[in-house]
Amino acid sequence: MEVQKEAQRIMTLSVWKMYHSRMQRGGLRLHRSLQLSLVMRSARELYLSAKVEALEPEVSLLAALPSDPRLHPPREAESTAETPDGEHPSPEPMDTQAPTAEETSACCAPRPAKVSRKRRSSSLSDGGDTGLVPSKKARLEEKEEEEGASSEVADRLQPPPAQAEGAFPNLARVLQRRFSGLLNCSPAAPPTAPPACEAKPACRPADSMLNVLVRAVVAF
Amino acid sequence: MTQVNTTSYKTIKLWKISERDKRPEGYNLKEEDGRYRDPTTVTTLRVPVFRPMDLMVEASPRRIFANAHTYHINSISINSDYETYLSADDLRINLWHLEITDRSFNIVDIKPANMEELTEVITAAEFHPNSCNTFVYSSSKGTIRLCDMRASALCDRHSKLFEEPEDPSNRSFFSEIISSISDVKFSHSGRYMMTRDYLSVKIWDLNMENRPVETYQVHEYLRSKLCSLYENDCIFDKFECCWNGSDSVVMTGSYNNFFRMFDRNTKRDITLEASRENNKPRTVLKPRKVCASGKRKKDEISVDSLDFNKKILHTAWHPKENIIAVATTNNLYIFQDKVN
Repeated sequence: MEVQKEAQRIMTLSVWKMYHSRMQRGGLRLHRSLQLSLVMRSARELYLSAKVEALEPEVSLLAALPSDPRLHPPREAESTAETPDGEHPSPEPMDTQAPTAEETSACCAPRPAKVSRKRRSSSLSDGGDTGLVPSKKARLEEKEEEEGASSEVADRLQPPPAQAEGAFPNLARVLQRRFSGLLNCSPAAPPTAPPACEAKPACRPADSMLNVLVRAVVAF
Repeated sequence: MTQVNTTSYKTIKLWKISERDKRPEGYNLKEEDGRYRDPTTVTTLRVPVFRPMDLMVEASPRRIFANAHTYHINSISINSDYETYLSADDLRINLWHLEITDRSFNIVDIKPANMEELTEVITAAEFHPNSCNTFVYSSSKGTIRLCDMRASALCDRHSKLFEEPEDPSNRSFFSEIISSISDVKFSHSGRYMMTRDYLSVKIWDLNMENRPVETYQVHEYLRSKLCSLYENDCIFDKFECCWNGSDSVVMTGSYNNFFRMFDRNTKRDITLEASRENNKPRTVLKPRKVCASGKRKKDEISVDSLDFNKKILHTAWHPKENIIAVATTNNLYIFQDKVN
């Protein structure tokens, strides 16, 4: 599960960076956003394939929604699955990436592995995942990727009250709540790097644009 | 008189740089400090003369080329015809005439119709040193495209595509971003070009597209630290590279104020440090060594004690002499070959 934790940590870190890159002087940086989304995608695929291996396969699968900096902020309603790129979370990426991921995780603070065979909804509510799983289970629109790339969802889904800001309004709000804590506190909030690598400059206070700006939603 | 082009996000300026080492003195109507004299006090006339003064270097903007770029400009490159130049941002490359500031031609446009399909951006571009119709641009995916402006007005189709297949054993979360090319530079001869990605410098023969002819590892010991470098944003640093005048040595920067030189003929490399504490003026720079793992020898520096805030992103080599300029965060160092 180290691989999974590591992948999740990198996803969280990527979202944090994406948000802050929008706040920087000079406006949104296209190249940086693209790079962050690539890392995010790799981490997500690894996370999902690790999940598929660790847990029993479930019936309902849902398309994941990666943070996509290429979409303009006003078009928040867009929530299609990411572009087809021929990748899907088969065991193969896990095999080739596992050694590297463990190697990279070795240089970051290792977490205790935790394998649980409890029901997914409760197993997901360990420390790292609470923000990524909606506390109220919204029913999300089925948007399967063409290659079948997908993520798993909690067992019971309920129809959302209204499609306000797009297909994943509840998830976006939960993520917002979860990350506003992250976004508002000191640079030490994301996991600290080894002593040689200093954390980057202090984060800026969140502003009222937070609900528009936090786009990273990873559905489970 | 020299001309220098600078860019800041989206505007390009052409500056005239000149030296002034004398000034006129002895005006009739003005005092030396510039105050006007009362004309009734002027009883004789004299001709102002030039007197020497402390050398002053002046930069004055001469042209401003604005409003042609939507995204952040990453490169400008003057053509060998000295009449035109190109500017490149993340998605487009424009061709300008040095005398015309209100118009430019778009010669490359990789913006997809649907931005959701964006997979790569332009990271650097440069004109060929001898062929005024040829230029190259590099991408965030590690490819370089060579284009010929005679082929068509919009050079969306490359004449050549330079790409090295990825080494599958090096795959990680960060493989894609460390393969992004941060700088591309033609050799003076025009026969080769050099690219810089996060961990290495590669030399390409323009006649061979499927792989570089030489690869030099700048700081391979960082490969196992990519995770931390992602956390502190260092993995996004854009290092430049440069050739010496005879194209026999290439140079690029690294962390801890280190910079590296690779001799293409002898295959030897050296690591030097640009710091005032460790080098008095006129002393010979001592070679440095980074200890990747295991026992650290005396005078070696371990990877974990490298200062990642001290980075050398910009370096330049005099086109004829062995004089180099190396920029640290706050200082510019000029080094030259030891004169016997």
